[in-house]
Amino acid sequence: MAQMTYREAVKTAMAEELRRDQRVLFMGEDIADMGGSQGVSKGMLAEFGPGRIRNTPISEEGIVGAAVGAAMSGLRPIVEIMYMDFTSMAMDPIVGQAAKWRYMTGGQVTIPVTIRTQGGAGWQSGSQHASMLESWFTHIPGLKVVMTSQPDDARLLLKAAIRDENPVLFIEHRDCYPRKGEVGEDPEEVGELGVGRKLREGTDCTIVCWGGMPWAALEAAEQLEAEDGISLEIIDPRTLQPFDLGIVLESVRKTNRCVIAHEAVTFGGFGAEIAALVQEHAFDHLDAPVLRVGEKWAPVPFAPVLEDYVVPGKAEIIEAVRSVAYATA
Amino acid sequence: MATQVKLPRLGQGMDEGKVLQWLKGEGDTIEKGDELYEVETEKVNVEVEAPAGGTILKVLVDAGQTVAIGTTLAWIGEPGEDVPAGGGDDAASAGSNTAKDPASDSTPTKVKSEPVAAAARAESAPAKPAQATPAEAPAAPAPAPAAAPQPGASDRVKASPLARRMASERGIDLATLSGSGPDGRIVARDLETAAQAGAAAAAPTAASSSSYEGQAGVERVELTSMRRTIARRLGEAWTAPSFILNRAVDMSAANELRARMLKTVKEGDVRPTVSDILTKAAAVALRKHREMNAHWAEDAILRFEAAHVGLAVATDAGLVVPVIRDAHAKTVKEIAADRKVLVDKARNGKLTPMDFEGGTFSISNLGMMGIDSFTAVLNPPQAGILAVGATVDTPVVIDRRVEIRPMMTISLTCDHRTVDGAVGARFLQTLVEHLEDPTSML
Repeated sequence: MAQMTYREAVKTAMAEELRRDQRVLFMGEDIADMGGSQGVSKGMLAEFGPGRIRNTPISEEGIVGAAVGAAMSGLRPIVEIMYMDFTSMAMDPIVGQAAKWRYMTGGQVTIPVTIRTQGGAGWQSGSQHASMLESWFTHIPGLKVVMTSQPDDARLLLKAAIRDENPVLFIEHRDCYPRKGEVGEDPEEVGELGVGRKLREGTDCTIVCWGGMPWAALEAAEQLEAEDGISLEIIDPRTLQPFDLGIVLESVRKTNRCVIAHEAVTFGGFGAEIAALVQEHAFDHLDAPVLRVGEKWAPVPFAPVLEDYVVPGKAEIIEAVRSVAYATA
Repeated sequence: MATQVKLPRLGQGMDEGKVLQWLKGEGDTIEKGDELYEVETEKVNVEVEAPAGGTILKVLVDAGQTVAIGTTLAWIGEPGEDVPAGGGDDAASAGSNTAKDPASDSTPTKVKSEPVAAAARAESAPAKPAQATPAEAPAAPAPAPAAAPQPGASDRVKASPLARRMASERGIDLATLSGSGPDGRIVARDLETAAQAGAAAAAPTAASSSSYEGQAGVERVELTSMRRTIARRLGEAWTAPSFILNRAVDMSAANELRARMLKTVKEGDVRPTVSDILTKAAAVALRKHREMNAHWAEDAILRFEAAHVGLAVATDAGLVVPVIRDAHAKTVKEIAADRKVLVDKARNGKLTPMDFEGGTFSISNLGMMGIDSFTAVLNPPQAGILAVGATVDTPVVIDRRVEIRPMMTISLTCDHRTVDGAVGARFLQTLVEHLEDPTSML
């Protein structure tokens, strides 16, 4: 085991898979000599060379389109979309092509493309560089969507994504990059998509959260325990599609309460889907409404004060949990 | 079209109500939701609102009368509109248990007398053991002051799904609880609180033993609503003046009859037991002694034509007494078949209120557990209950000679308010005769 940041864990995963399988390559804007806008791939060019670590023009449609074609021809490309907002530029290759071809050809081709992207508000990046758009993609049959918060999971699940025969969107939250954790070193070790993880054991309320929110939830849990005696159980589903409903239901049946927290705008977010599933499958176990914590209905503002107001965090989680635990007046 | 004003069920276990006074009279106009009359039930006095607006065309039940729920009390409609002379419905008469449940058109009510209501809350465990159906629970308007609906507000009980499930599992009427959640929502912790409060209220004497609570080796068992009902009903029964008559019965002939019956039992038929013969014998004897086949109704004694015999059945959850209906008219084999169905239902918690209702006499048999003889506590309002011990080979004197006979001791507990000693003795004499010579039943 080695102590490393989430950022390093992502790079480690890519490097391990590039070493393991000659068909794996990595493409994106400024990812080669510059190491990407978030510095994730620094040093990879030196090890693997410009044939496998490829800078691309500023054209998301072109990047993903090329990757889909390469995958149909037998390669296993990883691409990086610099900001999640820019996936809108690549919607046809992701949704119209990558997600459909395996199905439409009756399995004659597979599309083992891994699309890495990152996002997250709180960095005064402005409205066009701060959206969390995972629900666009969880709605598309044929795509897998990974969004995991812990460094060790980032390594294992990115490796699983690269080895998967289906297109996988691997979404990294910017808050996670500097977070450190123990990460394994066995290059053959690989994670499993579709399995959630309990980050904290609790008895009074379940919180299902992903992206950067598990880190906020961990801090909220400490405060709730100290100030209210509320024991919060934290579930990071790690993969949104396929979704591990079982781990959520098991927890909710124990705690009888459920809060869902994501940074994306609350209305129409993926949290709504989980809320629906929980009431469908655990209705008689609920002692309170299922609540969602998410961004307010606004483009993410640039001004720090406004951004703080719109973007959810620890305070919003605490408020929601107190409410469902009937701990507020 | 005129609207009927029917007496609503204002709480579980309510079968009838007394109209205390009319707040409006014939010819008066009234708005829907205005208080129309005041009714007295066992638990509470309530002002009941008009189910519709219009003119009061006809008042059918005068103040002071007691009627069954569902009875049409009055008609409201347009002036001059014709209304049926009677209730225009099949409302059952007072005192009947079979009144149609008007819960579907239950009328909003306002609790008037708070102290009475509070008392009602404390002891509103369902009158029927355990089998409060989920549908029944939310139908009852909330008598609890804390949960009293705002005028015009829905009388639907607000409760979390978990609280509803817990209430259903524990046989608790949510309408009797007050909710601590937002807008009075009943949540899980309110049921826990109620369970503790209920246990304390149901067992005031438990206070003396509470010094043991929490000590090592002492387990606290929360009362189920069934246990609470058993405690309450048997506590009441204990206050009835009762006497006990014992007889030893020679079971040779009954055993022989059973042996003969077993030879003719077809595959798949229920095998008759001595208990089934006993049920039959008791039912036939009850028909000959109608005084024993009776209920104490406080202001009257009700004698029944049919013998509906209740059988005490031990279950994991507690004692239940399902009823074999018309036992006098059934063959022993039919009784055996009925008995098996009821016992299976009881053991699986599947008995419905119908299965408990209308018993006119009860039998409790502990013979199979090796009990020689015992006395049973009355099962009110029934006049009698028979306690049955084991059949044991015993030396008895017959014609100045000692013989060994299979002897069974039976013990009849009678409600002295309903029957006197000689009545019980004559009934027991007939029963023993039927058991010792089954042909006497023919």
